[in-house]
Amino acid sequence: MSTKTVDVPVEKPAPAGRFPITIVRGSGRYRAGQLGLVALVALLLLAGASAEPFRVGQFTSVLIFAIAISGLNLATGYTGLLSIGHSAFFGLGAYTTGILVVSYGWEPLATLPVGVVLSFLIGVVVGLPALRIRGLYLALVTLAVGVAFPELVKRFADFTGGAAGLVIRARQLAPPDWTGLRLGQRHLWLYWLSAVILILVLLAVRNLTRSRVGIAMVATRDNEIAAAASGVDLAVVKTAVFGLSGAITGLAGGLFAMYIGALSPDGSFTLLKSIELITGLFVGGAATLLGPVVGAFAVVFIPYYSADLASGHVSGIVFGAVLILIVFLMPEGAVGLLNRLGRRIVRITTAAETGSDAGRSAAHSAEKEGEPR
Amino acid sequence: MSPSPDQPPELRISEVTLRFGGVTALDRVSLTVAPGEICGLIGPNGAGKTTLFNCVTRIYRPDAGTITFGDADLTRARPHRIVRLGIARTFQNLALFPSLTVLENTLVGAHSRTPAGFTAATLGWPGTTARHRRLAAEALDILTDLGLRDDAHRPAAGLPFGTLKRVELARALAARPRLLLLDEPAGGLTHAEVADLGGLIRRLSTERGFGVLLVEHHMGMVMSISDHVVALEFGRKIADGEPAEVRNSERVVAAYLGKAS
Ligand SMILES: Nc1ncnc2c1ncn2[C@@H]1O[C@H](COP(=O)(O)OP(=O)(O)O)[C@@H](O)[C@H]1O
Ligand SMILES: [Mg+2]
Repeated sequence: MSTKTVDVPVEKPAPAGRFPITIVRGSGRYRAGQLGLVALVALLLLAGASAEPFRVGQFTSVLIFAIAISGLNLATGYTGLLSIGHSAFFGLGAYTTGILVVSYGWEPLATLPVGVVLSFLIGVVVGLPALRIRGLYLALVTLAVGVAFPELVKRFADFTGGAAGLVIRARQLAPPDWTGLRLGQRHLWLYWLSAVILILVLLAVRNLTRSRVGIAMVATRDNEIAAAASGVDLAVVKTAVFGLSGAITGLAGGLFAMYIGALSPDGSFTLLKSIELITGLFVGGAATLLGPVVGAFAVVFIPYYSADLASGHVSGIVFGAVLILIVFLMPEGAVGLLNRLGRRIVRITTAAETGSDAGRSAAHSAEKEGEPR
Repeated sequence: MSPSPDQPPELRISEVTLRFGGVTALDRVSLTVAPGEICGLIGPNGAGKTTLFNCVTRIYRPDAGTITFGDADLTRARPHRIVRLGIARTFQNLALFPSLTVLENTLVGAHSRTPAGFTAATLGWPGTTARHRRLAAEALDILTDLGLRDDAHRPAAGLPFGTLKRVELARALAARPRLLLLDEPAGGLTHAEVADLGGLIRRLSTERGFGVLLVEHHMGMVMSISDHVVALEFGRKIADGEPAEVRNSERVVAAYLGKAS
């Protein structure tokens, strides 16, 4: 990214007139806004759950995709480490769950942490080349990982079921007793499980990206030399971010195995999946908190509706054209654009900034909600 | 220099050589920055001043020679360790983080001082948040001191060049350096601003107790605030001494012949 000055007019602090409305962080209005947001999310989720089972399934795959893209966002969006190999983490998580359930009779939920830990470790290893190489060269290394994954699954067929696939029996995927859900309500169990996990992931991403670690991640993306000269240990940031990124996408993979019930190496774990994740990230908005959620909607529903408009290869072309149009119209992604427009209407500031009572102690870097950077 | 109870270490560069292919950018350069002093480093373009900075901050590793800061051997340290040892710098051609705000840019400078743990940050540990607040408050004080308070929450991308130069200075100060390397800090400033900047550097150095190695083309500023001046030409040291002595040295005059000084 260029460090030259650009002639972009800076947002003016509250010009005459009503907008933007200034809301001070921690104030009554801010709290009310937060509560309203929580209520809105709860309502949307309840509405989603009351749809017909087929729709609930579609929403579940949106939630799972959103988790996977949130993982990618840490490495590619915030830290600038382009990964074309995240399909491998998605697959690693999925196969960990599949194998532990099918071959070892594990409880599906208990397999998720195992997939997360494995994906984290592999993520750290894949992140190691990032210490020496950058940009497209790093992308090539991740590409190789993405290409290798389905081949490895086929190679270790005894373990993974190979090209024929791995099928988890429906009974093994039944909702746990404590949920009070019946076997026939599996779609609801996975919907709510995915929703809760997505919310936890988003909270973790929000905490991380607003912290000094998050600032160091963006600094690493913007200017490595200056980041290192400021004391940022690039090796730690890059490997840890890659590990965490892989872990979150692996977690999504585990959920996906529970959702889909049948895994095959050429099905959902090829480079095509990586491309889908990257597409979702940039359509939704890289380096924004909610971009991955919007992007997940796009990659699930645009192909679905473009298949209505046209069939076969043509639908793929329609999908591609729609994506190009979206990226052309919103280069910063949907959420990036909304954030920018939203800041004209509402401005969230800290007490220190407006010079009100709380003063210095509340001085806090004024990162706006999910702001792209 | 009034002796402070907690004196910064001495920077000792000795016999440093660095080649780029056929170009010898630094040829057995030696110089010492005494604790807390302001040392001017002058020389025509291409003399090797920036390259010397890059050797001290381990962006380059010298082909030969040693660089020590107190007891620490800088040629063996990893780049991010340099600032943790107390050496902060600015860059000749701005090296800021355009997508971060001015305050966040400054906060990155504080990175060297306290570790920022991934786990605690992800879990939103209260201690982490509290430390973040403390450092942010401190960073705001620095910004206020440098007249940047109003820009604190603006993204660095889009601010004027002169402002960004000061943001780099703020980022370096946030590291609480014992030695500050400034690479042409007055570049692009007007005459009045240059004079102000000279005073500011002098004041910050005394108030905050750090030494300065200053690369600058504005001879008036270098001569007025430096305790000691070193001149380079084609990678070789051609003068080292009191400002007046260096300024009048025949070799320095010859090196600058035909150039405004
Ligand atoms: N990365 C590099 N690769 C090749 N040559 C370089 C590099 N950096 C500097 N040089 C050369 O080293 C010499 C010293 O440059 P520099 O240190 O930038 O000079 P100054 O800062 O004194 O103007 C110049 O001849 C320059 O062309
Ligand atoms: Mg230079």
